[in-house]
Amino acid sequence: MKPIRLLIDKLYKIRALNKAKPMLDAMDAAMFGTDETTRGKPHIVDTIDTKRYMSCAIAALVPAALASVYFYGFRAIMIIAVSYAAGLFVEFMFAVIRKHKIHEGFLVTGLIFPLVLPPTTPLWIVAVGVMFGVFFGKEVFGGTGRNIFNPALVGRLFITIAFPAIMTTNWQDPLTDAITSATPLSVYNSEGIMAPYLDLLIGTQPGSMGETCRIAIILGGIFLMFTRVGNWRIPVCYIGSVFIAALAGNHFLPEKIAPPLFQVLTGGLLFGAMFMATDPVTSPFSKAGKYFFGISCGILTVLIRSFSANVEGVMFSIVIMNAFTPLIDYIVLKFKFRPVKI
Amino acid sequence: MAHALTIFIAAILTHNIALTYLLGMCPFISLSRSIKTAFGMSIAVIFVVTLTAAINWPIYHKILVPLESEIIYYIVFIIVIAASVQLVEMIMERFFPPLQAAFGIFLPLITVNCTVLAVSLFMVLRDYSYGMTLVFALGSAVGWMLAIMIVAAINEKLKLIGDIPGGLKGSGIIMIIAGIIALAFMGFGGMVDIN
Repeated sequence: MKPIRLLIDKLYKIRALNKAKPMLDAMDAAMFGTDETTRGKPHIVDTIDTKRYMSCAIAALVPAALASVYFYGFRAIMIIAVSYAAGLFVEFMFAVIRKHKIHEGFLVTGLIFPLVLPPTTPLWIVAVGVMFGVFFGKEVFGGTGRNIFNPALVGRLFITIAFPAIMTTNWQDPLTDAITSATPLSVYNSEGIMAPYLDLLIGTQPGSMGETCRIAIILGGIFLMFTRVGNWRIPVCYIGSVFIAALAGNHFLPEKIAPPLFQVLTGGLLFGAMFMATDPVTSPFSKAGKYFFGISCGILTVLIRSFSANVEGVMFSIVIMNAFTPLIDYIVLKFKFRPVKI
Repeated sequence: MAHALTIFIAAILTHNIALTYLLGMCPFISLSRSIKTAFGMSIAVIFVVTLTAAINWPIYHKILVPLESEIIYYIVFIIVIAASVQLVEMIMERFFPPLQAAFGIFLPLITVNCTVLAVSLFMVLRDYSYGMTLVFALGSAVGWMLAIMIVAAINEKLKLIGDIPGGLKGSGIIMIIAGIIALAFMGFGGMVDIN
Protein backbone atom coordinates (compact mmCIF):
# COMPACT_ATOMS: atom_id res chain seq x y z
CA MET A 1 0.00 0.00 0.00
CA LYS A 2 2.90 2.31 0.66
CA PRO A 3 3.70 3.16 -2.98
CA ILE A 4 0.03 4.10 -3.56
CA ARG A 5 0.09 6.37 -0.50
CA LEU A 6 3.24 8.03 -1.80
CA LEU A 7 1.74 8.40 -5.24
CA ILE A 8 -1.40 10.08 -3.89
CA ASP A 9 0.65 12.40 -1.70
CA LYS A 10 2.71 13.34 -4.77
CA LEU A 11 -0.43 13.97 -6.79
CA TYR A 12 -1.71 16.31 -4.07
CA LYS A 13 1.44 18.41 -4.43
CA ILE A 14 1.09 18.91 -8.19
CA ARG A 15 -0.19 22.46 -8.79
CA ALA A 16 -2.06 21.67 -11.97
CA LEU A 17 -4.17 19.10 -10.19
CA ASN A 18 -5.42 21.59 -7.60
CA LYS A 19 -8.66 21.94 -9.48
CA ALA A 20 -9.23 18.21 -9.42
CA LYS A 21 -8.89 18.02 -5.65
CA PRO A 22 -12.30 16.35 -5.18
CA MET A 23 -11.15 13.58 -7.48
CA LEU A 24 -7.99 13.04 -5.45
CA ASP A 25 -9.97 13.14 -2.21
CA ALA A 26 -12.27 10.47 -3.56
CA MET A 27 -9.33 8.33 -4.63
CA ASP A 28 -7.72 8.79 -1.25
CA ALA A 29 -10.90 7.91 0.58
CA ALA A 30 -11.55 4.88 -1.60
CA MET A 31 -8.04 3.52 -0.99
CA PHE A 32 -7.44 4.38 2.63
CA GLY A 33 -10.66 5.66 4.16
CA THR A 34 -10.62 8.92 6.06
CA ASP A 35 -10.81 10.03 9.64
CA GLU A 36 -13.27 12.74 8.72
CA THR A 37 -16.86 12.67 9.88
CA THR A 38 -19.66 13.07 7.40
CA ARG A 39 -20.65 16.53 6.31
CA GLY A 40 -23.51 15.57 4.02
CA LYS A 41 -27.15 15.54 4.92
CA PRO A 42 -29.45 13.76 5.93
CA HIS A 43 -28.49 11.08 8.45
CA ILE A 44 -28.66 12.19 12.05
CA VAL A 45 -29.89 9.40 14.30
CA ASP A 46 -27.30 6.73 15.21
CA THR A 47 -23.62 6.81 14.42
CA ILE A 48 -24.40 5.60 10.93
CA ASP A 49 -23.04 7.94 8.26
CA THR A 50 -23.47 8.26 4.54
CA LYS A 51 -20.53 6.00 3.88
CA ARG A 52 -21.80 3.04 5.89
CA TYR A 53 -25.24 3.64 4.49
CA MET A 54 -24.02 3.42 0.95
CA SER A 55 -21.71 0.47 1.63
CA CYS A 56 -24.68 -1.47 3.01
CA ALA A 57 -26.76 -0.58 -0.04
CA ILE A 58 -23.98 -1.73 -2.34
CA ALA A 59 -23.51 -4.95 -0.40
CA ALA A 60 -27.24 -5.59 -0.77
CA LEU A 61 -26.99 -5.03 -4.52
CA VAL A 62 -24.09 -7.43 -4.97
CA PRO A 63 -26.19 -10.64 -5.29
CA ALA A 64 -28.32 -9.09 -8.02
CA ALA A 65 -25.25 -7.72 -9.80
CA LEU A 66 -23.52 -11.12 -9.64
CA ALA A 67 -26.63 -12.79 -11.01
CA SER A 68 -26.71 -10.34 -13.91
CA VAL A 69 -23.07 -11.09 -14.68
CA TYR A 70 -23.79 -14.82 -14.46
CA PHE A 71 -26.72 -14.64 -16.85
CA TYR A 72 -25.50 -12.03 -19.30
CA GLY A 73 -21.73 -12.39 -19.03
CA PHE A 74 -19.28 -9.84 -20.25
CA ARG A 75 -22.05 -7.61 -21.59
CA ALA A 76 -23.27 -6.95 -18.05
CA ILE A 77 -19.79 -6.00 -16.86
CA MET A 78 -19.43 -3.61 -19.81
CA ILE A 79 -22.73 -1.89 -19.05
CA ILE A 80 -21.90 -1.50 -15.35
CA ALA A 81 -18.45 -0.12 -16.22
CA VAL A 82 -19.87 2.42 -18.69
CA SER A 83 -22.49 3.48 -16.20
CA TYR A 84 -19.87 4.13 -13.53
CA ALA A 85 -17.50 5.93 -15.88
CA ALA A 86 -20.07 8.23 -17.48
CA GLY A 87 -21.83 9.00 -14.22
CA LEU A 88 -18.61 9.69 -12.36
CA PHE A 89 -17.61 12.08 -15.13
CA VAL A 90 -20.68 14.26 -14.45
CA GLU A 91 -20.18 13.92 -10.70
CA PHE A 92 -16.52 15.00 -10.95
CA MET A 93 -17.37 17.94 -13.19
CA PHE A 94 -19.92 19.22 -10.69
CA ALA A 95 -17.58 18.62 -7.78
CA VAL A 96 -14.76 20.50 -9.48
CA ILE A 97 -16.84 23.44 -10.70
CA ARG A 98 -19.09 23.82 -7.65
CA LYS A 99 -16.27 22.93 -5.28
CA HIS A 100 -18.13 20.41 -3.17
CA LYS A 101 -17.04 16.96 -2.16
CA ILE A 102 -17.79 13.82 -4.09
CA HIS A 103 -20.31 11.78 -2.17
CA GLU A 104 -20.51 8.04 -1.98
CA GLY A 105 -24.11 8.28 -3.13
CA PHE A 106 -23.13 7.92 -6.75
CA LEU A 107 -21.67 4.46 -6.13
CA VAL A 108 -25.20 3.21 -5.47
CA THR A 109 -26.82 5.11 -8.34
CA GLY A 110 -24.14 3.90 -10.72
CA LEU A 111 -24.83 0.29 -9.80
CA ILE A 112 -28.64 0.46 -9.60
CA PHE A 113 -28.95 2.16 -12.98
CA PRO A 114 -27.35 -0.59 -15.15
CA LEU A 115 -29.27 -3.27 -13.25
CA VAL A 116 -32.62 -1.89 -14.47
CA LEU A 117 -31.58 -1.76 -18.13
CA PRO A 118 -32.25 -4.45 -20.73
CA PRO A 119 -29.02 -6.36 -21.34
CA THR A 120 -29.02 -5.40 -25.01
CA THR A 121 -28.96 -1.63 -24.38
CA PRO A 122 -26.32 0.04 -26.56
CA LEU A 123 -23.50 1.40 -24.43
CA TRP A 124 -23.97 4.99 -25.60
CA ILE A 125 -27.56 4.93 -24.40
CA VAL A 126 -26.32 3.68 -21.04
CA ALA A 127 -23.99 6.67 -20.91
CA VAL A 128 -26.71 9.13 -21.97
CA GLY A 129 -29.12 7.76 -19.41
CA VAL A 130 -26.80 7.81 -16.45
CA MET A 131 -25.53 11.28 -17.33
CA PHE A 132 -29.07 12.63 -17.61
CA GLY A 133 -30.01 10.96 -14.36
CA VAL A 134 -27.07 12.30 -12.40
CA PHE A 135 -27.28 15.77 -13.95
CA PHE A 136 -31.02 16.46 -13.82
CA GLY A 137 -32.00 13.98 -11.16
CA LYS A 138 -29.40 14.85 -8.59
CA GLU A 139 -26.79 17.49 -9.26
CA VAL A 140 -29.09 20.39 -10.18
CA PHE A 141 -30.72 19.95 -6.78
CA GLY A 142 -27.36 20.10 -5.05
CA GLY A 143 -26.06 16.54 -5.02
CA THR A 144 -26.47 13.53 -2.78
CA GLY A 145 -29.10 13.85 -0.08
CA ARG A 146 -30.77 16.84 -1.67
CA ASN A 147 -32.40 15.21 -4.66
CA ILE A 148 -36.17 14.98 -5.03
CA PHE A 149 -36.26 12.11 -7.49
CA ASN A 150 -34.29 8.90 -7.59
CA PRO A 151 -31.47 9.73 -10.06
CA ALA A 152 -31.23 6.22 -11.48
CA LEU A 153 -34.95 6.22 -12.21
CA VAL A 154 -34.85 9.67 -13.80
CA GLY A 155 -32.17 8.39 -16.18
CA ARG A 156 -34.11 5.22 -16.93
CA LEU A 157 -37.30 7.22 -17.47
CA PHE A 158 -35.59 9.59 -19.88
CA ILE A 159 -34.10 6.90 -22.08
CA THR A 160 -37.34 4.89 -22.00
CA ILE A 161 -39.29 7.87 -23.34
CA ALA A 162 -36.53 9.01 -25.71
CA PHE A 163 -35.62 5.63 -27.25
CA PRO A 164 -38.74 3.50 -26.81
CA ALA A 165 -37.96 1.06 -29.61
CA ILE A 166 -34.58 0.14 -28.17
CA MET A 167 -35.63 0.17 -24.56
CA THR A 168 -38.85 -1.81 -24.66
CA THR A 169 -38.52 -4.41 -27.38
CA ASN A 170 -34.93 -5.66 -27.24
CA TRP A 171 -34.77 -8.27 -24.51
CA GLN A 172 -32.36 -11.13 -24.30
CA ASP A 173 -33.30 -14.65 -23.34
CA PRO A 174 -30.82 -15.59 -20.59
CA LEU A 175 -30.66 -19.25 -21.60
CA THR A 176 -30.30 -19.08 -25.36
CA ASP A 177 -28.98 -15.51 -25.69
CA ALA A 178 -31.56 -14.98 -28.42
CA ILE A 179 -33.11 -11.54 -28.78
CA THR A 180 -36.81 -11.59 -28.03
CA SER A 181 -39.29 -8.77 -28.02
CA ALA A 182 -41.31 -10.06 -25.11
CA THR A 183 -40.96 -10.20 -21.35
CA PRO A 184 -43.22 -12.39 -19.19
CA LEU A 185 -45.48 -9.38 -18.54
CA SER A 186 -45.95 -8.50 -22.21
CA VAL A 187 -46.50 -12.17 -23.06
CA TYR A 188 -49.28 -12.24 -20.50
CA ASN A 189 -50.77 -9.00 -21.84
CA SER A 190 -50.85 -10.21 -25.43
CA GLU A 191 -51.41 -13.97 -25.16
CA GLY A 192 -52.47 -14.61 -21.59
CA ILE A 193 -49.70 -17.15 -20.98
CA MET A 194 -47.96 -17.08 -17.63
CA ALA A 195 -44.31 -17.98 -17.20
CA PRO A 196 -43.62 -20.65 -14.53
CA TYR A 197 -43.01 -19.17 -11.09
CA LEU A 198 -39.81 -21.15 -10.56
CA ASP A 199 -38.29 -19.74 -13.77
CA LEU A 200 -39.19 -16.25 -12.62
CA LEU A 201 -37.59 -16.81 -9.22
CA ILE A 202 -34.34 -18.18 -10.59
CA GLY A 203 -34.12 -15.66 -13.40
CA THR A 204 -34.27 -17.68 -16.58
CA GLN A 205 -36.92 -15.42 -18.10
CA PRO A 206 -36.03 -12.30 -20.11
CA GLY A 207 -36.06 -8.98 -18.31
CA SER A 208 -33.79 -6.18 -17.18
CA MET A 209 -30.29 -7.23 -16.19
CA GLY A 210 -30.57 -7.21 -12.43
CA GLU A 211 -34.27 -7.72 -11.94
CA THR A 212 -34.67 -11.23 -13.33
CA CYS A 213 -33.03 -13.25 -10.57
CA ARG A 214 -35.62 -12.67 -7.86
CA ILE A 215 -33.88 -14.87 -5.28
CA ALA A 216 -30.81 -12.63 -5.31
CA ILE A 217 -33.03 -9.55 -4.97
CA ILE A 218 -34.95 -11.00 -2.05
CA LEU A 219 -31.64 -11.88 -0.34
CA GLY A 220 -30.34 -8.36 -0.85
CA GLY A 221 -33.63 -6.86 0.27
CA ILE A 222 -33.69 -8.87 3.48
CA PHE A 223 -30.12 -7.77 4.16
CA LEU A 224 -31.14 -4.13 3.63
CA MET A 225 -34.07 -4.39 5.98
CA PHE A 226 -32.06 -6.35 8.53
CA THR A 227 -29.40 -3.65 8.68
CA ARG A 228 -32.21 -1.05 8.73
CA VAL A 229 -30.69 0.82 5.82
CA GLY A 230 -33.92 0.30 3.94
CA ASN A 231 -37.09 0.73 5.95
CA TRP A 232 -39.26 -2.41 5.88
CA ARG A 233 -42.50 -0.43 5.69
CA ILE A 234 -42.20 0.70 2.10
CA PRO A 235 -41.36 -2.65 0.44
CA VAL A 236 -43.90 -4.53 2.55
CA CYS A 237 -46.66 -2.02 1.77
CA TYR A 238 -45.64 -1.82 -1.87
CA ILE A 239 -45.56 -5.55 -2.54
CA GLY A 240 -48.56 -6.17 -0.32
CA SER A 241 -50.71 -3.58 -2.03
CA VAL A 242 -49.74 -4.90 -5.46
CA PHE A 243 -50.75 -8.35 -4.27
CA ILE A 244 -54.10 -7.20 -2.91
CA ALA A 245 -54.90 -4.90 -5.82
CA ALA A 246 -54.07 -7.68 -8.27
CA LEU A 247 -56.12 -10.18 -6.26
CA ALA A 248 -59.17 -7.94 -6.37
CA GLY A 249 -58.57 -6.84 -9.96
CA ASN A 250 -57.97 -10.35 -11.22
CA HIS A 251 -61.24 -11.45 -9.69
CA PHE A 252 -63.26 -8.88 -11.62
CA LEU A 253 -61.22 -8.30 -14.78
CA PRO A 254 -59.14 -11.44 -15.33
CA GLU A 255 -58.39 -10.63 -18.98
CA LYS A 256 -56.83 -7.26 -18.05
CA ILE A 257 -55.20 -7.71 -14.66
CA ALA A 258 -52.71 -10.52 -14.10
CA PRO A 259 -52.95 -12.81 -11.03
CA PRO A 260 -51.32 -11.53 -7.83
CA LEU A 261 -48.31 -13.81 -7.40
CA PHE A 262 -47.41 -13.41 -11.07
CA GLN A 263 -47.57 -9.62 -10.70
CA VAL A 264 -45.25 -9.73 -7.71
CA LEU A 265 -42.69 -11.95 -9.41
CA THR A 266 -42.56 -10.26 -12.81
CA GLY A 267 -41.03 -7.06 -14.05
CA GLY A 268 -39.06 -4.77 -11.82
CA LEU A 269 -41.43 -4.89 -8.88
CA LEU A 270 -39.20 -6.65 -6.37
CA PHE A 271 -36.13 -4.71 -7.41
CA GLY A 272 -37.98 -1.40 -7.38
CA ALA A 273 -39.67 -2.06 -4.06
CA MET A 274 -36.50 -3.24 -2.32
CA PHE A 275 -33.88 -0.87 -3.69
CA MET A 276 -35.52 2.17 -5.25
CA ALA A 277 -38.66 2.95 -3.32
CA THR A 278 -36.73 2.60 -0.05
CA ASP A 279 -34.28 5.37 -0.92
CA PRO A 280 -34.40 7.41 2.32
CA VAL A 281 -33.86 10.73 0.55
CA THR A 282 -36.72 10.47 -1.91
CA SER A 283 -39.31 8.73 0.26
CA PRO A 284 -41.33 10.26 3.12
CA PHE A 285 -39.69 10.38 6.53
CA SER A 286 -42.82 9.90 8.60
CA LYS A 287 -44.18 6.42 9.24
CA ALA A 288 -47.68 7.29 8.06
CA GLY A 289 -46.13 8.80 4.95
CA LYS A 290 -44.16 5.61 4.31
CA TYR A 291 -47.30 3.48 4.48
CA PHE A 292 -49.11 5.83 2.13
CA PHE A 293 -46.11 5.95 -0.22
CA GLY A 294 -45.87 2.17 -0.44
CA ILE A 295 -49.58 1.58 -0.93
CA SER A 296 -49.91 4.30 -3.60
CA CYS A 297 -46.90 2.93 -5.45
CA GLY A 298 -48.51 -0.50 -5.50
CA ILE A 299 -51.87 0.69 -6.76
CA LEU A 300 -50.29 2.90 -9.42
CA THR A 301 -48.11 0.00 -10.56
CA VAL A 302 -51.07 -2.32 -11.03
CA LEU A 303 -53.06 0.41 -12.80
CA ILE A 304 -50.26 1.31 -15.22
CA ARG A 305 -49.39 -2.34 -15.91
CA SER A 306 -52.97 -3.30 -16.63
CA PHE A 307 -54.53 -0.33 -18.38
CA SER A 308 -51.89 1.93 -19.91
CA ALA A 309 -49.90 1.52 -23.09
CA ASN A 310 -46.79 0.72 -21.04
CA VAL A 311 -46.02 -2.85 -20.10
CA GLU A 312 -44.22 -2.05 -16.87
CA GLY A 313 -45.32 0.51 -14.31
CA VAL A 314 -42.83 0.28 -11.44
CA MET A 315 -40.54 3.01 -12.73
CA PHE A 316 -43.37 5.46 -13.42
CA SER A 317 -45.11 4.84 -10.14
CA ILE A 318 -41.97 5.33 -8.05
CA VAL A 319 -41.06 8.60 -9.78
CA ILE A 320 -44.63 9.88 -9.44
CA MET A 321 -44.63 9.05 -5.75
CA ASN A 322 -41.17 10.65 -5.39
CA ALA A 323 -42.78 13.82 -6.67
CA PHE A 324 -45.57 13.48 -4.12
CA THR A 325 -43.17 12.84 -1.24
CA PRO A 326 -42.76 16.46 -0.03
CA LEU A 327 -46.52 16.99 -0.18
CA ILE A 328 -47.14 13.77 1.81
CA ASP A 329 -44.63 14.88 4.44
CA TYR A 330 -46.20 18.33 4.59
CA ILE A 331 -49.69 16.94 5.09
CA VAL A 332 -48.57 14.39 7.70
CA LEU A 333 -46.72 17.06 9.65
CA LYS A 334 -49.66 19.40 9.42
CA PHE A 335 -52.19 16.90 10.77
CA LYS A 336 -50.06 14.92 13.14
CA PHE A 337 -48.16 17.66 14.85
CA ARG A 338 -50.76 20.35 15.21
CA PRO A 339 -49.96 22.99 17.80
CA VAL A 340 -51.77 22.36 21.07
CA LYS A 341 -54.71 24.65 21.65
CA ILE A 342 -54.93 25.92 25.18
CA MET B 1 -71.73 8.12 -15.57
CA ALA B 2 -68.83 5.90 -16.54
CA HIS B 3 -68.08 8.26 -19.40
CA ALA B 4 -68.02 11.23 -17.03
CA LEU B 5 -65.64 9.40 -14.69
CA THR B 6 -63.37 8.52 -17.62
CA ILE B 7 -63.18 12.13 -18.71
CA PHE B 8 -62.54 13.28 -15.15
CA ILE B 9 -59.64 10.85 -14.69
CA ALA B 10 -58.26 11.58 -18.14
CA ALA B 11 -58.30 15.31 -17.44
CA ILE B 12 -56.36 14.77 -14.23
CA LEU B 13 -53.86 12.09 -15.23
CA THR B 14 -53.38 11.40 -18.92
CA HIS B 15 -54.27 14.84 -20.26
CA ASN B 16 -53.18 16.93 -17.31
CA ILE B 17 -53.46 20.54 -18.38
CA ALA B 18 -50.23 21.65 -16.71
CA LEU B 19 -48.02 18.60 -17.17
CA THR B 20 -49.14 17.35 -20.59
CA TYR B 21 -50.13 20.56 -22.37
CA LEU B 22 -47.87 22.88 -20.35
CA LEU B 23 -50.69 25.40 -20.02
CA GLY B 24 -51.08 27.88 -17.19
CA MET B 25 -47.32 28.05 -16.80
CA CYS B 26 -47.06 31.68 -15.66
CA PRO B 27 -48.94 31.24 -12.37
CA PHE B 28 -47.50 27.73 -12.17
CA ILE B 29 -43.99 29.15 -11.99
CA SER B 30 -44.59 32.33 -10.04
CA LEU B 31 -47.02 31.04 -7.42
CA SER B 32 -45.49 27.65 -6.67
CA ARG B 33 -43.01 29.07 -4.18
CA SER B 34 -45.17 28.25 -1.17
CA ILE B 35 -47.91 25.73 -0.53
CA LYS B 36 -50.29 28.31 0.89
CA THR B 37 -50.36 30.59 -2.14
CA ALA B 38 -50.45 27.59 -4.47
CA PHE B 39 -53.49 26.28 -2.61
CA GLY B 40 -55.28 29.65 -2.72
CA MET B 41 -54.60 30.02 -6.41
CA SER B 42 -55.71 26.53 -7.28
CA ILE B 43 -59.00 26.85 -5.40
CA ALA B 44 -59.63 30.07 -7.32
CA VAL B 45 -58.73 28.32 -10.58
CA ILE B 46 -61.12 25.44 -9.89
CA PHE B 47 -63.91 27.92 -9.24
CA VAL B 48 -63.28 30.16 -12.24
CA VAL B 49 -62.54 27.41 -14.77
CA THR B 50 -65.75 25.57 -13.97
CA LEU B 51 -67.78 28.77 -13.93
CA THR B 52 -66.48 30.13 -17.24
CA ALA B 53 -66.82 26.79 -18.99
CA ALA B 54 -70.41 26.65 -17.77
CA ILE B 55 -71.07 30.12 -19.20
CA ASN B 56 -69.12 29.66 -22.43
CA TRP B 57 -70.85 26.45 -23.51
CA PRO B 58 -74.34 27.96 -23.90
CA ILE B 59 -72.89 31.08 -25.48
CA TYR B 60 -71.05 29.04 -28.10
CA HIS B 61 -73.70 26.44 -28.83
CA LYS B 62 -76.84 28.56 -28.45
CA ILE B 63 -75.67 31.91 -29.81
CA LEU B 64 -72.53 31.64 -31.94
CA VAL B 65 -73.38 28.42 -33.78
CA PRO B 66 -76.95 29.42 -34.79
CA LEU B 67 -75.62 32.80 -35.96
CA GLU B 68 -72.81 31.03 -37.88
CA SER B 69 -70.25 33.31 -36.32
CA GLU B 70 -68.04 30.70 -34.65
CA ILE B 71 -65.01 32.51 -35.98
CA ILE B 72 -65.12 35.12 -33.22
CA TYR B 73 -65.23 32.62 -30.40
CA TYR B 74 -61.73 33.44 -29.19
CA ILE B 75 -62.67 37.06 -28.51
CA VAL B 76 -66.03 36.14 -27.06
CA PHE B 77 -64.48 33.63 -24.67
CA ILE B 78 -61.84 36.08 -23.48
CA ILE B 79 -64.42 38.78 -22.87
CA VAL B 80 -66.70 36.36 -21.05
CA ILE B 81 -63.83 35.20 -18.84
CA ALA B 82 -62.71 38.71 -17.94
CA ALA B 83 -66.24 39.95 -17.38
CA SER B 84 -67.36 37.00 -15.30
CA VAL B 85 -64.31 37.16 -13.07
CA GLN B 86 -64.90 40.85 -12.46
CA LEU B 87 -68.56 40.26 -11.80
CA VAL B 88 -67.85 37.45 -9.37
CA GLU B 89 -65.38 39.64 -7.56
CA MET B 90 -67.91 42.44 -7.21
CA ILE B 91 -70.59 40.10 -5.94
CA MET B 92 -68.15 38.60 -3.48
CA GLU B 93 -67.01 41.97 -2.27
CA ARG B 94 -70.59 42.98 -1.62
CA PHE B 95 -71.97 39.77 -0.09
CA PHE B 96 -69.07 37.53 1.05
CA PRO B 97 -66.22 39.79 2.15
CA PRO B 98 -64.35 37.05 4.07
CA LEU B 99 -64.30 34.81 1.00
CA GLN B 100 -63.12 37.70 -1.14
CA ALA B 101 -60.36 38.42 1.37
CA ALA B 102 -59.33 34.77 1.27
CA PHE B 103 -59.04 34.76 -2.52
CA GLY B 104 -57.27 38.08 -2.39
CA ILE B 105 -55.17 38.86 -5.42
CA PHE B 106 -55.69 35.46 -7.05
CA LEU B 107 -59.12 36.12 -8.48
CA PRO B 108 -58.15 39.06 -10.74
CA LEU B 109 -54.93 37.24 -11.61
CA ILE B 110 -56.87 34.36 -13.08
CA THR B 111 -58.17 36.40 -15.99
CA VAL B 112 -54.70 36.03 -17.46
CA ASN B 113 -54.36 32.30 -16.67
CA CYS B 114 -54.32 30.45 -19.97
CA THR B 115 -55.81 27.34 -18.34
CA VAL B 116 -59.17 29.09 -18.25
CA LEU B 117 -59.23 29.91 -21.95
CA ALA B 118 -57.74 26.53 -22.87
CA VAL B 119 -60.51 24.60 -21.12
CA SER B 120 -63.15 26.56 -23.04
CA LEU B 121 -61.30 25.98 -26.32
CA PHE B 122 -60.87 22.24 -25.68
CA MET B 123 -64.59 22.08 -24.98
CA VAL B 124 -65.27 23.31 -28.50
CA LEU B 125 -62.50 21.22 -30.07
CA ARG B 126 -63.64 17.96 -28.50
CA ASP B 127 -67.33 18.66 -28.98
CA TYR B 128 -68.42 17.92 -25.42
CA SER B 129 -72.01 17.98 -24.24
CA TYR B 130 -72.88 20.38 -21.43
CA GLY B 131 -72.49 17.83 -18.64
CA MET B 132 -69.20 16.54 -20.03
CA THR B 133 -67.93 20.12 -20.29
CA LEU B 134 -68.54 20.67 -16.58
CA VAL B 135 -66.83 17.40 -15.68
CA PHE B 136 -63.91 18.14 -17.97
CA ALA B 137 -63.50 21.68 -16.60
CA LEU B 138 -63.55 20.46 -13.03
CA GLY B 139 -61.12 17.64 -13.83
CA SER B 140 -58.70 19.95 -15.63
CA ALA B 141 -58.70 22.43 -12.78
CA VAL B 142 -58.17 19.67 -10.20
CA GLY B 143 -55.34 18.32 -12.34
CA TRP B 144 -53.76 21.77 -12.44
CA MET B 145 -54.15 22.01 -8.68
CA LEU B 146 -52.46 18.62 -8.26
CA ALA B 147 -49.50 19.70 -10.38
CA ILE B 148 -48.99 23.06 -8.67
CA MET B 149 -49.37 21.56 -5.20
CA ILE B 150 -46.72 18.91 -5.93
CA VAL B 151 -44.31 21.49 -7.26
CA ALA B 152 -45.01 23.91 -4.39
CA ALA B 153 -44.27 21.18 -1.82
CA ILE B 154 -41.06 20.27 -3.65
CA ASN B 155 -40.08 23.93 -3.69
CA GLU B 156 -40.66 24.27 0.03
CA LYS B 157 -38.51 21.20 0.64
CA LEU B 158 -35.79 22.52 -1.66
CA LYS B 159 -35.78 25.79 0.27
CA LEU B 160 -34.71 23.79 3.30
CA ILE B 161 -32.31 21.25 1.87
CA GLY B 162 -31.57 22.24 -1.72
CA ASP B 163 -28.29 23.64 -2.97
CA ILE B 164 -29.36 24.71 -6.42
CA PRO B 165 -26.83 26.31 -8.76
CA GLY B 166 -27.36 30.09 -8.88
CA GLY B 167 -28.50 30.27 -12.47
CA LEU B 168 -31.19 27.66 -12.01
CA LYS B 169 -32.83 29.15 -8.95
CA GLY B 170 -36.44 30.16 -9.35
CA SER B 171 -38.08 29.34 -12.65
CA GLY B 172 -35.23 27.19 -13.98
CA ILE B 173 -35.51 24.50 -11.35
CA ILE B 174 -39.32 24.59 -11.52
CA MET B 175 -39.21 23.85 -15.24
CA ILE B 176 -36.82 20.94 -14.60
CA ILE B 177 -39.06 19.55 -11.85
CA ALA B 178 -42.16 19.95 -13.99
CA GLY B 179 -40.35 18.24 -16.86
CA ILE B 180 -39.41 15.20 -14.78
CA ILE B 181 -42.94 14.92 -13.39
CA ALA B 182 -44.31 15.23 -16.93
CA LEU B 183 -42.03 12.37 -18.01
CA ALA B 184 -43.39 10.25 -15.19
CA PHE B 185 -46.98 11.14 -16.03
CA MET B 186 -46.38 9.76 -19.54
CA GLY B 187 -46.63 6.39 -17.81
CA PHE B 188 -50.40 6.86 -17.74
CA GLY B 189 -50.45 7.21 -21.54
CA GLY B 190 -53.18 5.22 -23.23
CA MET B 191 -54.98 4.49 -19.98
CA VAL B 192 -58.17 6.43 -20.64
CA ASP B 193 -59.55 8.27 -23.64
CA ILE B 194 -60.35 11.96 -23.32
CA ASN B 195 -63.08 11.93 -25.98
